[in-house]
Formats: sequence, C-alpha cells, structure tokens
Amino acid sequence: MYIVIAGAGRVGLVLAKKLREDNHQVCLIDKDPNLCQTLSKELKNILIIFGDSTYPDILKEAKIDKADVLVSATACDEDNVIICNLAKDLFCVKRAVAIVNDPKHLPLYKYMGVDNPVDSTSIIARIVEEEASFTDVMTLLSIKKGRLSIVRVDIPQESPVVNKSLQEIRLPPNSVLVSILRGVDIIIPSGTTKIFPGDEVIAATLIDVEKDLIKTLIGKI
Amino acid sequence: MRYTVIVGCGKIGRELALQLSKTENVVMVDKNSRALNSLGDDFNGKKIWADALDMNTLDVAGIKDANTVFLLTGNDNLNLVVGKVIKRKYGIKKVSLLVNDDIKRKIFQEVGLTIINRTNLMVGVLKKGSA
Repeated sequence: MYIVIAGAGRVGLVLAKKLREDNHQVCLIDKDPNLCQTLSKELKNILIIFGDSTYPDILKEAKIDKADVLVSATACDEDNVIICNLAKDLFCVKRAVAIVNDPKHLPLYKYMGVDNPVDSTSIIARIVEEEASFTDVMTLLSIKKGRLSIVRVDIPQESPVVNKSLQEIRLPPNSVLVSILRGVDIIIPSGTTKIFPGDEVIAATLIDVEKDLIKTLIGKI
Repeated sequence: MRYTVIVGCGKIGRELALQLSKTENVVMVDKNSRALNSLGDDFNGKKIWADALDMNTLDVAGIKDANTVFLLTGNDNLNLVVGKVIKRKYGIKKVSLLVNDDIKRKIFQEVGLTIINRTNLMVGVLKKGSA
C-alpha cells in the first residue's frame, strides 16, 4: 500500500517507521525544514516532503492521488480536519484517518465529515486508567476503537457468582462469558457450568456495560 | 437588537468589535486574554476567553442566536473549520471569515459563507486608487 502521513510528530514518525517495516510505501510531510532535513538523512527508504500539508500543492507533491490511505497526524486539530477534507474532496483518497489532539475538538471532526478520527488522548487516558486500577481485571483486546473489549476477570473468594451456575447469573445485556480458565483446563461454558474462586473468566463486552459486568463478577469495582 | 459573535481579537477583530458594540450586542471570543484586554474599558460587549475549536465555547457565546458571525483569527484553517461547522450545525445565514490564502478560499467556498481575502482586497483598493 502507499500511505501518506501528514505531520512528523511522535505519532506520525513512529507510524511511518512501523508501516515501512511492514513493507508499505510511505511518504511523510512536515512543515519544519530542519526536521525534514534530519529525517531525510536518517530514513532513506521513506519519502520526506517539506511543506504545509494543508496546501493542495504539497499534497500533490506527495502523490496523494495515488495513496491508499492518508493519515493526518499534525499537532493542530484544525489542520488535520482541513487535510482530510482536501484529501477526500479534492483528491478522492479512499481512506482518511486523523489524529484528534484535544478530545474537546472531536465534534468538529464529525461535523466536517472526517470518517476516522482517532481520539488519541482519550485512548491513552483509558489505558492509563486501566493500568492504574487495582481490580483483577485485564483488557486482553480492544476492538473498534475500544467499543468492544475482551477482558479477563480473576474471580475472588468473596465474589457473588462463586459456586453459581451460569444460568443463575444475570449478566448485563451486551456481554457474554466466552470461556473459563481453571488451572490447566480451558472450559467453554454452558448454562450448567459453575464458577469457582480462582477461576479466570474471559468475557466479551461492550464498553458501556463493562463496569456492570465487572461488578456482577467481582461484586465491586 | 442584533447579535454578533466575533472570533479573533486581532487588529481587525478589535476595531470591528469596538465599532459594532455601540449599536448592537457583541460577543468577542479569543484564547489570548491579553488580546481581549486590548478592547479596553470602552468596549460595551461580552468577552469570552476560550478556544473557539471547542463547541462548548461556541454554545457559551450563544452562537445559535447570533445574526452574524465573524471569524477573524490569523489562522486560515481555524477560520475555515469553525465557519463551516457553524454553518452546518446552527444554520446561521451570515458567516464572514478571513482566509489569506486564495487557493483555500476557492476550494472551501460555499453558499452563505463570505470568505474575505485581505490580499485581494488590498490589491483592489490600491488598483482603484491608482486609476
């Protein structure tokens, strides 16, 4: 694939290197001349373009009409919106992804028709919150920008679901128990399967009911 | 009374706000408190010290009741984005904004959005003066 990245900040740069490792063609645009010079010496197999990506000429220079994806990762939210709009309306790029720097600016992206805004600050905040919490819950996988998660919950002694079978446990809607890990056994549960202390329960849940699910399984949050 | 919201308290915004505030309700939005203070004691309107890219700020400024909105910051992209969002979300009839780059002005032109290019304007005036 050919991917154009606007903005060689932390996210843009790491992403460019990663995509290059995965054998994609990558073009990186930034408006800092010194940074561009350093990067062009350092990254031989990435095309570096110096210029303001909110100008169509610069995007054209990056051959954006040939791009499969545009990623707008500048530090200015208004610039990201404009870049995505130009890519879509002027150059008909199939997919435009934008980083949202300030979550307060997220509605702007939506009103301006940016399909894939990635609210990086909120995502990081959520991860940090998870890492900082002391519950016996771990998110194994996040899907669709964190809307669906697969979690592992360690069942403590005092849990309200201990010694109950699954049909006796009322789980919140939009959540389901996928499997139970007990010692070396992996159990795919049915209605009669009972939960014991020390079990590790794997569950799939929508983000808005995740807290309810944990409460049901552990008794507290 | 007419209600006007101005975003960007630079030279043009400041002068416009001072003049309009004599006859109508004016709200000035800027993220720089010093710029807001430059309006002085004579300014007979409301000042909001906040980020215009935050929709909350626009709500606080009472944008939905505004007759006219001016976007006069020095940032073309901000003026364009906020202008378009205001138009789409609140359907305000008169939105005027400064865009100093002519290419962007042409691309983002749309009905009901008055995009003013300072350079073009100056050139026009100068040409008229020399004729």
